[in-house]
Order: sequence, then C-alpha cells, then structure tokens
Amino acid sequence: MIRLENVSKMYGSDQPAVRDATFDVPKGEFVFLVGPSGSGKSTLLRLMNRQERPERGNVWVAGRNINEMANSQIPYLRRTMGNVFQDYKLLPNKSVFENVAFALEVIGKPRHIIGQQVPQVLDLVGLAGKEDRLPHQLSGGEQQRVSIARAFVNRPLILLADEPTGNLDPATGEGIMSLLDAINRTGTTVVMATHDHRVVNAMRRRVIQLDRGVIVRDQERGVYE
Amino acid sequence: MIQRISYAFRETYASFRRNITLSVAAVITSAVSLLLVGATFLMQRAFDNLLVQWRGDVGMIVFVRPDVTPEALTFIEQNLKSQPNVIDVPKIKYLDKTGSFEEAKRVFAGDATTLSLLSIDTIPSQFKVVPKTTDPELVRSLAAQYRSLPGVAGVSLAEDEFDVISTLSGFVRTVTIAMSLVLLSVAVILIWNTIRTAIFARRREIEVMKLVGATDWFIRVPFIMEGLIQGLLGAMVSCLGLWGLNSAWTSGVAGFKAGTGVSSLVVPDSYLNGVMIALLIIGATAGGVGSGVASSKFLDV
Repeated sequence: MIRLENVSKMYGSDQPAVRDATFDVPKGEFVFLVGPSGSGKSTLLRLMNRQERPERGNVWVAGRNINEMANSQIPYLRRTMGNVFQDYKLLPNKSVFENVAFALEVIGKPRHIIGQQVPQVLDLVGLAGKEDRLPHQLSGGEQQRVSIARAFVNRPLILLADEPTGNLDPATGEGIMSLLDAINRTGTTVVMATHDHRVVNAMRRRVIQLDRGVIVRDQERGVYE
Repeated sequence: MIQRISYAFRETYASFRRNITLSVAAVITSAVSLLLVGATFLMQRAFDNLLVQWRGDVGMIVFVRPDVTPEALTFIEQNLKSQPNVIDVPKIKYLDKTGSFEEAKRVFAGDATTLSLLSIDTIPSQFKVVPKTTDPELVRSLAAQYRSLPGVAGVSLAEDEFDVISTLSGFVRTVTIAMSLVLLSVAVILIWNTIRTAIFARRREIEVMKLVGATDWFIRVPFIMEGLIQGLLGAMVSCLGLWGLNSAWTSGVAGFKAGTGVSSLVVPDSYLNGVMIALLIIGATAGGVGSGVASSKFLDV
C-alpha cells in the first residue's frame, strides 16, 4: 500500500530530516513510527501525502509513484487518505456535523450522500447526539474523535495519524487508540507517529523506530523501548 | 455541479461580509476610477462633436448658400483651385448637403432648437480647405476674398473656432486618462489586498481543504469570484454615476445660448451605453484578474 525506497529529505543545509528510509507497509497493516521529537516521524507522514517531496528516493502509494504525480493529481491522491493531527485542526466556527461534512463537501459529494455518511461515521466514533456542538464545547478526546470522523468519512485506504494522543490524558488516549484499531480492522491501513510509550506497548503492532532521521529498528509486534 | 456552484456562491458571500470594510473600499475605488475612465470617453466624444468639422487639418470652411446655382458653385471651386501656393489643392473637399446635414447633427447635438430648424434643403453645403501657409494674415485675407464671391454664405477659420477647444480637449484627455489609470491600479491593488486578507483569514480552512483533497480550482474559485464581483459592483456604481452626470449635463446644456459651441458637447445615448458596457467589462476583468493572481500567489496550491 505504501512503499518508501531510499528516501532522503533535507530541510535547509544541516543534517537531513530523513535519511535513506526504505520500508513497505502492506494493505491493512497498523504501523507505529516512534522516536523522540525531531527524529523525522512527521516528515515521513508528510512525505506520504506529498505535503513534502523528497530530495532522493521514491514514495509509492497504492501502486503509484507520488513524486512523479502531476500537481493536479494530488487532490485525488489525498482523497484516498485521511489525516489526523495532534491539534485536531477542526474549524472552530463549524459544528461537529459541518466539520465532518466539510470533507465531503469540498470534494463535491452530493448532499444526500453527506446526509447519509456523516451521521454513520459520527455514530461510529461515539459522537451521536453531539452533531450541533461547536468544537470549543467538546473535550479534547471528543474533538479528536471529530477529527478522526472527518478523516474516515470518505472511507480512505490509508489513515495517517500524527501524535493523535499527544494532547490527551491516558484514559482518553486509550479510547482514541481503540477507535483507530477499529478503523484498522475495517481494512484501512493506519500509519501513526507517536512518542507515547503506553499506546505502543499496549497495542503490540509493527514498530518503526527513528533516530535523527535514520530508521534504527523495524519490528513486528514491537514495543517502544 | 450545482452543489459546487452553490458552495462557491455561499463562500464568496460569506467572505465578502467578513471583510466588509476592505470590500467596500475596493468597490468604491474601482467605482471612482471607472467613473473617471467613462467620463474621459464621454468628454472626448463631446469635444469631438465640436472638432468634427475641422478634422484632417482643415483650416478654413467656405459655406455655400443652399440655393447656389451650379455655375456659381463651379466658379467658387475654380477660385479655390487657382491658389495652389496657399491652398493644398488635392485636399480640397466638397461636402454636399447630405454630408453637411449629417455633420450638423453632431455639431448641434445638444441644441434641439437649431436642429429642428435645419433640413436637408436649407443647409449650406461646404468646401473644406487645408491651407498650405501658416501665416494667419494670409489665410485671413484669403477668407475675406472668398466671402465676396457670389453664392458664398460665409467663411469660418479654424483658428477662430477651435484652437482653444483643441488644446483644452488634449489637456483634459491627458489628465483624466492619467488619473483614471492611477486610480484603476489602486483599485486592483485594493482588490488584491482584500483577497490576500480573505485568504489569510481562512488559512486553516484552506489547509484542511487541501488535506482532504479539494482541487486547486475548487479552493480558488470563491476568491476569484469575490474579486470579480467587487470589480463588477464598482463598475455598476460608476455606470450609475456616469448616467446621472450625463443626464444632468445634457439637460443643463440645453439652457446655453446657441452658437456658443457648448451645445455641441453632448453624446448620443448609444455611445453612453457602449461606454457603460465597456466599464462593466473592464471592472469585472480587473477584479477577476487581480484576485486570480492573488489567489494563485497566496494559496500556494
């Protein structure tokens, strides 16, 4: 589903953010990218949805080399992926329903489809009955659920999550993790960057560890260390 | 498709309201600049009515009585052609009654009384004469000589009638064109800035839109429409202003004494309509292009 071949990414002239990264993520897998801040986790995610382009190497997503994709094709690439962030990135003046609907609206989905899919996905993430709330009226965990609902409402092949539990207390973080696990069980490939030991150790999934831009460990059913 | 169009309109409207002060400033500036552009066109056209008689270096017009005999007409023509040293003979042009009548309609455009008295039978025909000499005294003595010919109704000299107007019209044109160009660029810069502010205000939204796979055009179109509508609104206001100005002027001119030349400074409605359509096109284009460039530059999509 995702394949990186000898990928290097530099920011400015100092040491590379990612150096010579090569790995494969098969369809339906759940992968943790772990490592301290600045080790290149977020950069790897940004390379996968082409928010960044590598200086060297190739990134393949769903069988296509995305570095060679025309800019006009990028929106269609991104429609096959959902993104979840540490700071949720919800639109503060839109309700829960509108925030999720927005993702469908801007890719031109007809209204009746939106009216069908949004309540379904809100139900899935456990926010049924809170459709009309504004983001600031929700707890952090609930806001992250909205953001997951928005990422998943279009049934993407891939879900990219950057520190989704970073702002949450452990109990709330657990809830988010079981939600991501449930999404993964529907066949969606999940790549999650985190430095949260507890979630990695509790889940026992594949772990790719980074240190200063270099992959130092790639382990099935790993722990954080 | 309808979904997308309604989305674009909603966003345009919301953004316009959010930036109401900047939007209004942009609309007013484009209105004022376009009003000036339009006024320049109208003034030029009005002055042109006065100058139409003298187009092509004509320095002297010999008016021939409408009841002239063919012999007298030939005699006048021969007289003109017998002075090849002072008069540019190949450029002598005879305007018959029909031609003179058409011309008079423009010269007396704002003077309904005179116009109603004119008819194709009572109007004098005319010889347009281009003098070779620049010596005004010589031209004057020539004019005096022609006045005494049988069948000549009168002789007009360009330097008596239109030198001042011609200078004035050239000056007014230069000033108004320069001012309207400056104001038009200010309007485009203001529209540009409004769009930049609108994009900045919505940068979070735009980031999310990009991440969920909205196409560049989908993101851009509301901004481009916003600029286009600002330009178009400005143009509409300027058209209203221009129409009001022109109506006031046309009815005011009717009060001037005939023969002062002021009554010529009137434009036909068809010309006014043409100018207004041009203003609408200029306004919409300037707004659309300004915001299109701004949105490509600042959206970074």
